[in-house]
Amino acid sequence: MKKDIENNPTQAQSSETPDWLLDLDKVGFIRRIFLARKWYGGDWWFVAISAVLLLFIIIVGVFPQWFAPYDPSAEVGPSLLEPGVAPSSYVLVAPIEAGEITLVDIGDKSNNIGFIIGSPASQALREATDTLNDAAPEGVRYQPRQMRYETLAEGLDALAAGEIDGFVAAPDVLENVLDGYPTLRIANTLREDASKGFVMGTNQIGQDVFSRIIWGTRIALIVGLSSAIVSLVIGVPLGLISGFTGGPLDRILTLIMDSLYSFPGLILAISIAAVLGAGIGNIIVSIAVLYIPTYYRIVRGQTLAVKKELYVEAARSLGTSKLKILTKYIFPNVIPSVVIIFSVNVGDAILTEAGLSFLGFGLPPNTPDWGIDLARGQDYVRRAWWLITYPGLMVTMVTLSFSMLGESLSEILNPKLTER
Amino acid sequence: MSNSLRRYLITRVLMTIPMVLILVTIIFFIMRVLPGDPIRSQLGPRVSEEQADALRERLGLNRPLIIQYVDFIGDMLTFDFGTALTQGERPIKDELGERLPATIELTIPAITLTAIIGIFTGAYAAKNRKKPIDYIIRLLSIILSSIPIFFMGLVFQILVSVRVPIFPLSGRMDTLMLTTFESPTNFYVVDALITRNWPALWSAIMHLILPSVTLGLALSGVFVRLTRVNMIEMLQSDFITAGRARGIAENKLVFKHALRNTFIPILTLLGLQFAILLAGAVLTETTFSLPGVGRYLVDRIQLRDYTAVQSTIAVFAMFVAAISLLMDILYAFVDPRIRY
Repeated sequence: MKKDIENNPTQAQSSETPDWLLDLDKVGFIRRIFLARKWYGGDWWFVAISAVLLLFIIIVGVFPQWFAPYDPSAEVGPSLLEPGVAPSSYVLVAPIEAGEITLVDIGDKSNNIGFIIGSPASQALREATDTLNDAAPEGVRYQPRQMRYETLAEGLDALAAGEIDGFVAAPDVLENVLDGYPTLRIANTLREDASKGFVMGTNQIGQDVFSRIIWGTRIALIVGLSSAIVSLVIGVPLGLISGFTGGPLDRILTLIMDSLYSFPGLILAISIAAVLGAGIGNIIVSIAVLYIPTYYRIVRGQTLAVKKELYVEAARSLGTSKLKILTKYIFPNVIPSVVIIFSVNVGDAILTEAGLSFLGFGLPPNTPDWGIDLARGQDYVRRAWWLITYPGLMVTMVTLSFSMLGESLSEILNPKLTER
Repeated sequence: MSNSLRRYLITRVLMTIPMVLILVTIIFFIMRVLPGDPIRSQLGPRVSEEQADALRERLGLNRPLIIQYVDFIGDMLTFDFGTALTQGERPIKDELGERLPATIELTIPAITLTAIIGIFTGAYAAKNRKKPIDYIIRLLSIILSSIPIFFMGLVFQILVSVRVPIFPLSGRMDTLMLTTFESPTNFYVVDALITRNWPALWSAIMHLILPSVTLGLALSGVFVRLTRVNMIEMLQSDFITAGRARGIAENKLVFKHALRNTFIPILTLLGLQFAILLAGAVLTETTFSLPGVGRYLVDRIQLRDYTAVQSTIAVFAMFVAAISLLMDILYAFVDPRIRY
């Protein structure tokens, strides 16, 4: 079945040259592209749209620092903050009799500071303490004892009763409640209201999701392009030589390539990635192995078909060297297919890389990588949708652009090509 | 059976053997270069070197590589795979026997969904080739195959099991129900059906819907395009032109005459999807915490359990080879032009 398709030379085109084709010869490169639009219809638009998308993706991948507002691996905000929501301010509540106190006054080990359990208040307190410690002179260390309360009332009661020395809460929840406690007042602002939030929220350790996916573009492009180039550089010559020389070498190579091709790619990649260990070079190698057979099969099939053409026969009878026949007469015929496979391959490679990272066989942890972010976000699927949605959409968009380019190019250049 | 058909079948079957062998060999040697050590991962770092050596000796890991290899190939031929190196050293046959049903229960509905979506949408797109609907279908199919399977699964989880709790988040059955549910074959749906345990059946089916829809949709992206290309070729053939000339309705031509004739090549292509299906099952099982073969493989690779991993991969390879063999034979029977 597959052999059938590969060996069939392209069906004879209609003998009359259509007008649009004649037009194409008379005009320049740019006009030619626009004229071709009429003929290729939707496919032309597919190519155009994916080209624009790819241009954008490549710019983002090459210059992530232009787009990313924060360092992708720095903790820049409170954890699990919803997209667009500014981190709210937190204030320190203290008894009136204590006077004008700040965290410095009660940041001691002998002092207790309360907050509601599980609320971002704990983080605000930690941040404020860290800032104090950074500014503190050598040997001085602020480390208030943290007391956790189930409800606001419980905490304020404890504060009013003198069990704790301060309580951290957001001002908006305190507004009316504090009137019920005549002995308490807001003593100090612990953290200012941030003017703006994070476009795509923050993850569980307070990293900016947006910056991470921007920097992730670079990783995805590096892995996708390099692994595709490696498979191309190995697969194409192998296919050319195998198809051209034939014989036992061809048979053995075909058998090996067919076995690799028929096997679930991701599983093979997992095994190889597990052998090589984490690291970007290793990931590139393990993904590259998967796609060598794809190049090999297509190139070999086309070489077999072209080998029998008259002009190759003629070149051979004129005594042209084998190397020259291979490079000058046969190779140009496989270029269009190789371009198509390359484009689809890059998209697929990015998808596979995300899968590998998701399963934990990918890059070192904390790399700004979409697959890693998706894997980490899976644990928070119940309460933080933004952790997985944005990296997932990025993988989809980049893969989509490359596949769309490849698919429509194949429809335009080589309508008979059905292999993936 | 004609002579040439017999020759074709024999050649085809013989070609399957080196294919499986090559894969298994590659995996065997890949696993042996792994930097990790199954003995260490099982015993922990505090056990003395003597004890580790003793275990190594008992499990046969201290023998020369080539003898281990011959032994392993021998095991493969008898379908006995030996015992796992980690996690209780149970026979791999049993371990796979427990997990294979989960994978099969996941993949059968998935591939059915893929076939239904793929064939009809693909045929419809082929019928309307170069019209807007064709481009829309193609665009959607490319989008579907560009979405990472696990991402699709996670989005479904967020939408219809966290936001609107219709489907359970993960697992094969409600944990509470599992304590009383007995499943001798490990096919939960089948066992629940046989014992007429309706709540269990309902629970098992509900747990299956999200994973199999995810897997099926992800696969159908590629499959729609394959069907479309095949149908376009078929619609250009002479008998369709003849039918058109006789005034047969276009719909009848496409969905009856052409589709019937493309059915076998499409079925073959579906067989080729099997490899992608298995890879997808690994991701789906991880996303939905299904205790299937794919999850097992990933877990055991992390534990560096040589025997378990190479046996599981061998089983995968045999599956893929068997399916593609079956499809080719089927095709050879139907299409007399296919011969060596």
